[in-house]
Amino acid sequence: MDSRPEVRAVAGTPGLVERIPMRTTRRLLPVVLLTGLVGSYVAAAEDQPPKAEEVLDKFVEATGGKATYEKIHSEKFSGTFEFAGKGIKGAITSYRAEPNNTYTSVELEGIGTIEEGTSGEVAWTRSGLQGPRIKEGDERAASMRQATLRAPLEWRKLYKQAETTGVENVEDQACYKVVLTPNEGKPETHFYDKKTNLLVKVTLTVNTPMGEIPTETLLRDYTEQDGLRSPHKIEQKAMGQEFVISIDKLEYNIDIPKDRFALPADIQALLPK
Amino acid sequence: MAYRRILITVTWVALSCTEATSAPALTPNQKRLNIESFELIWSTIRDQYWDPDFGGVNWQAVHDELRPKIEGAASMSDARAVMSDMMDRLGKSHFGLIPAEVYEDLDAKGGEGTAGLEVRILDGRAIVTSVEEGSPAASEGVHAGWEIRRVEGTALAPSLDKISAHYRDATTQELYLARSVLAKLSGDPGSAVHVEFLDGARRRVSKTLTRIQPQGTPAKFGYLPTIHVWFRTSRPAEDTGYIAFNFFLDPAHLMTEFGDALGKCAACPGVVIDLRGNPGGLGIMALGMAGWFIEKPDQRLGTMHMRQAPIKFTVNPRRPAYRGRVAMLVDACSASTSEIFAGGMKDLGRARIFGTRTAGAALPSAIDRLPNGDAFQHAIADYVSEGGRPLEGIGVIPDVEVKLTREALLAGRDPVLEAAIEWIHARR
Repeated sequence: MDSRPEVRAVAGTPGLVERIPMRTTRRLLPVVLLTGLVGSYVAAAEDQPPKAEEVLDKFVEATGGKATYEKIHSEKFSGTFEFAGKGIKGAITSYRAEPNNTYTSVELEGIGTIEEGTSGEVAWTRSGLQGPRIKEGDERAASMRQATLRAPLEWRKLYKQAETTGVENVEDQACYKVVLTPNEGKPETHFYDKKTNLLVKVTLTVNTPMGEIPTETLLRDYTEQDGLRSPHKIEQKAMGQEFVISIDKLEYNIDIPKDRFALPADIQALLPK
Repeated sequence: MAYRRILITVTWVALSCTEATSAPALTPNQKRLNIESFELIWSTIRDQYWDPDFGGVNWQAVHDELRPKIEGAASMSDARAVMSDMMDRLGKSHFGLIPAEVYEDLDAKGGEGTAGLEVRILDGRAIVTSVEEGSPAASEGVHAGWEIRRVEGTALAPSLDKISAHYRDATTQELYLARSVLAKLSGDPGSAVHVEFLDGARRRVSKTLTRIQPQGTPAKFGYLPTIHVWFRTSRPAEDTGYIAFNFFLDPAHLMTEFGDALGKCAACPGVVIDLRGNPGGLGIMALGMAGWFIEKPDQRLGTMHMRQAPIKFTVNPRRPAYRGRVAMLVDACSASTSEIFAGGMKDLGRARIFGTRTAGAALPSAIDRLPNGDAFQHAIADYVSEGGRPLEGIGVIPDVEVKLTREALLAGRDPVLEAAIEWIHARR
């Protein structure tokens, strides 16, 4: 088995409103990008799929290339968040900045505002429903991985192993199935379309205080912005529920107020003295 | 949602009592739709029932046994009996068939107007347990403790007897009884309802009550109909806080009000949380509220078992935590999230429960339409409180059982609240 760490992909969150995945897409993409370097993809026999590195490299190329990713220092997106078939929806806004600062707010009708963020070594979440909470263990590790702005280019730091385990259809499209094992947490499985080289599906188990939640995320509507292609529709299923994030506006390298990533007072109050 | 579920169930019961006994023959198309409905129920349960072993029931064998019977069903009544039989094999509540004619009626917009009365069934009689201040009932001089005998000229007793008989072994009996009376009293705002009471002296008193909009703030959650949510706080005794709300909904407002109320009573030796009549709502709100009383991390109210994985109802402690005594008031109309909250707080040793056994109706369920026009209700998870017992069909058993009585109500007393306050003050 290849001992080198390999590409990663992050995915959002579980079916609980609390852990709403925001940058799912964004992170997934970056993850893959990491592959970067490696040489050209060599057509492999169906019974011998390409190595994970090759698959991941192809993804980076398909979405804009390593150099383009390296030009990105911050991003902001806004859109809608909807629980499919439930009539519950709202607005989502997310900010990211290097190296691993994030802030996401989801305002859901009938529920209120749910916020998540990472700053320094702290990953946190807060809502009127549950109050403030600092993430720990695997949950924190997952958030910090997802927060890494150019994760695809740093995958060796984030994942200790990546392996292509076969070919599997996702909605009638043949995909390479790549299993990524993070340094902390359970393996994630990514599916890359054989024709487009795009990441189209991720399955993983999200660790939360409510237990280990298996999730399945579909990535759709890849759209180019400033040379990078990223999915603008993310569908995630968890525990019999499905929610959809639709990105309406995506901006890179914008000025983000410094205090955007400051820890809220009630989160600071939870930190060890 | 529990609220919707309860209403649906009650109405179904009421209407099914009057179902015609004739059994017209089915057309070939109706037979086909019944078979498709049978298959949809069977496959839905196969795919979504939380226990992949179906509690020891051979689900495939049930299908194979009953499939010829649904194919041979000669009437809708026969077909429904076969489908009900299939669901009954699981031996669980929250699985049932709702006839099309009932479903259509339920789907129609019902009036949300209220006369301002709260009702419970005490010793087999429909008794007014509270009269909303400023309501039509209050204006007409209706008092807590009065008995409701007739609504729109129709005696309640026969209907109550039928529901009592149907649910004679169920913990939900009182819930359905109370809801059936309240359903008869409700209607469009502005419309009138004629009610015959027996007053405190057992004299017949007839009142015409004009329904008004319910109290509270209109709250919308998904596709649920607009529900009015109210929150009340008071000091029923020196240094004792009191909190009540009618639904676990509208969290943006309710959670804030709950936290504020506790904050204002931070130095109180005890707080009373009145969940009587609360049919539930968003389960996660129980976790959020429990966070104000629990200081230790990794504490759970219980566990929801689903097919995909168990969900631990883990409490996120909030600061500052309320450290005084917590008394929770419950009755047979406390259901769903109310039971999860009260049961978990009891199991964690953080609250003492006063009142009567809760409804034992805690499972989340869905209602799906069938090809033949009927609908079927099916639970999608099982719930076990932290103490290790399921709540479904059992309910939360109070630490201190206190029953309301007509006499106490007529005297303007609330013996359940009194017992809770006495316990809080006994600490001093």
